[in-house]
Amino acid sequence: VSAAHAAERLVAARSDVKRACDLLVAASPEALDGCQDALQQAVSELIDFRSKRHEIRSDPSARSTACGLRAEVLRAARLLQSLSSFYHGWNKILGSMSAGYTANGDPAPVTRHGRLCCRG
Amino acid sequence: MSNLISSMMSAAGALDAYTSVLDVTQNNVANASTPGYAKQTESLEAMPFDPAMGLTGGVLASQVESTRDDYAEQTVQQQTTLLGQAQQDVSSLSSLQSQFDVTGSSGIDNAFNNLFQAFSAWGQTPTSTVARQTVIQRATDVATAFQQSATGLATLAQDTNQQLLQTVSDINQISGQLAAYNQQIMGGDRNDAGLDARIHSTLEQLSQYAGITATKQADGTYSVLLNGQTALVIENRSYGLRAAPAPNDPTAPNPEGPSHQSILSSTGTDVTSTVSGGQLASLLNLANNVLPGYLGDQNQPGSLNTLALKFASHVNDLLTQGYQTDGSDGTSPVGGVALFTYDTNNNTNVAQSLQVSPTVSPDQLAAITLGPPEVSNGVALALSQLSNPTASADQIGGLSYTQYYGNMASNVGNLLNNANNQVQTQQSAVAQAQNLRQQISGVSLDEEATILIQFQRAYEASSKLITVLDQLTQDTINILPSS
Repeated sequence: VSAAHAAERLVAARSDVKRACDLLVAASPEALDGCQDALQQAVSELIDFRSKRHEIRSDPSARSTACGLRAEVLRAARLLQSLSSFYHGWNKILGSMSAGYTANGDPAPVTRHGRLCCRG
Repeated sequence: MSNLISSMMSAAGALDAYTSVLDVTQNNVANASTPGYAKQTESLEAMPFDPAMGLTGGVLASQVESTRDDYAEQTVQQQTTLLGQAQQDVSSLSSLQSQFDVTGSSGIDNAFNNLFQAFSAWGQTPTSTVARQTVIQRATDVATAFQQSATGLATLAQDTNQQLLQTVSDINQISGQLAAYNQQIMGGDRNDAGLDARIHSTLEQLSQYAGITATKQADGTYSVLLNGQTALVIENRSYGLRAAPAPNDPTAPNPEGPSHQSILSSTGTDVTSTVSGGQLASLLNLANNVLPGYLGDQNQPGSLNTLALKFASHVNDLLTQGYQTDGSDGTSPVGGVALFTYDTNNNTNVAQSLQVSPTVSPDQLAAITLGPPEVSNGVALALSQLSNPTASADQIGGLSYTQYYGNMASNVGNLLNNANNQVQTQQSAVAQAQNLRQQISGVSLDEEATILIQFQRAYEASSKLITVLDQLTQDTINILPSS
């Protein structure tokens, strides 16, 4: 296994996280499922890279690639956070619309007992 | 016969309803790329059916409804506000970065290096007139470099204030446009899809400039507040903002220092602290925090003035503690004179006013320390050590003068780098918010519940993976050698 092969793992991980970012931008529930797969793949690539990292110590471009990867991870975190804020806000609106407000003035929690979600 | 006519009337009503549906569909297709346009839907209302009473049923077109969702609109506006702020940060910080040359080929860094070399040459030939003249010339270059930097930063501050005025003017102009749209709504154009599209496109445009809250009122008009507090548009009236310098505080440490910029509401209330996001917040941050960090304000001298003051006063101290002659010829020893002059009354004006004393001549530069033991080049050697100081008196906060200047420049570089990353991320966040707006338009409560459940499940898994990736990438960077 060459240093180039180890470096490829970093590049692949970055590509996976970039794909996850694109899916987070698309923001549909289906895209989110795909995002999970892409992130899982990136974790695998990174673990693979770390097991071969001694071969890459002399490659100065690897650090630059790793920094680029980290920037993508931070972008993915930011996009996931904004998506989470959006859905939490939406959930609160749904709660207040369907069950009013609690004694503290917060939107009532949305109860989904017995709800079945089927996807074809 | 009457039943036949009723049935024909019912069929004609149904045709009218479907014609209306087709009109709405056609309108949606025609405006698919109109900025701010939201898809409209036509609800069909079932008519009562009772042949005995002559009611033949059928359908009737009810009111056309927009699928615009105010919550989704607000999300897009909020992300657009953050994008506007990041883009303005990049623009402003690029201008600021151009004021610093860290390559050492020009500016303060280069002037420092040349002066330290001149001090070193003087230390080797302390009685050389040429070496002394070179010191004065290089010191003049240092003073000029400080003046040029201070002038460049002051010009940038003026440009920023001008941009603030322009931004406030743009906000007022857009607010006036929204008030005019509200007037049209109040005049009866409430269900005009084109007007609705123009309003939302204008609100998005406004959100680039500042964080706003737009709320649709019962009469169909939009009330717009600056960060949820200061009225910009209510019904058919707009309330203009104003940018102005904050009044000087005579009790401040530097009452003569540059004053901050403030934003005033239409009633004259200072609302600067409530402004967050958008180009306006970015410009205020540059004018009131970033630039004063270099040039000073009424509460701080600023790093450029601190550097100029510490350097010039330390060089002057070393020279005035030394001697031009040691009195070995029977005369009294002659003390040294200060090399630099600067404004001692206003510590935010040190860099701008720094110059080599016009009365100092090469032979007045004191090279001798009397000791004991007397050292003929003691002062010159002490000055030459400023390039690589070890004593805390020769440093600012543990840094040499060139390191301190390098830190000033690298701070701008880091801020610009972060702002560039922020623009890229925020562009994605705006696209995400626009996609969310598109997806949730007109979904039913059941669909909402399903989407939320799906999201919750996917979010938890992705969130854990991102936490793992965050740690893994940080560890990876730490173990890799820097080039």
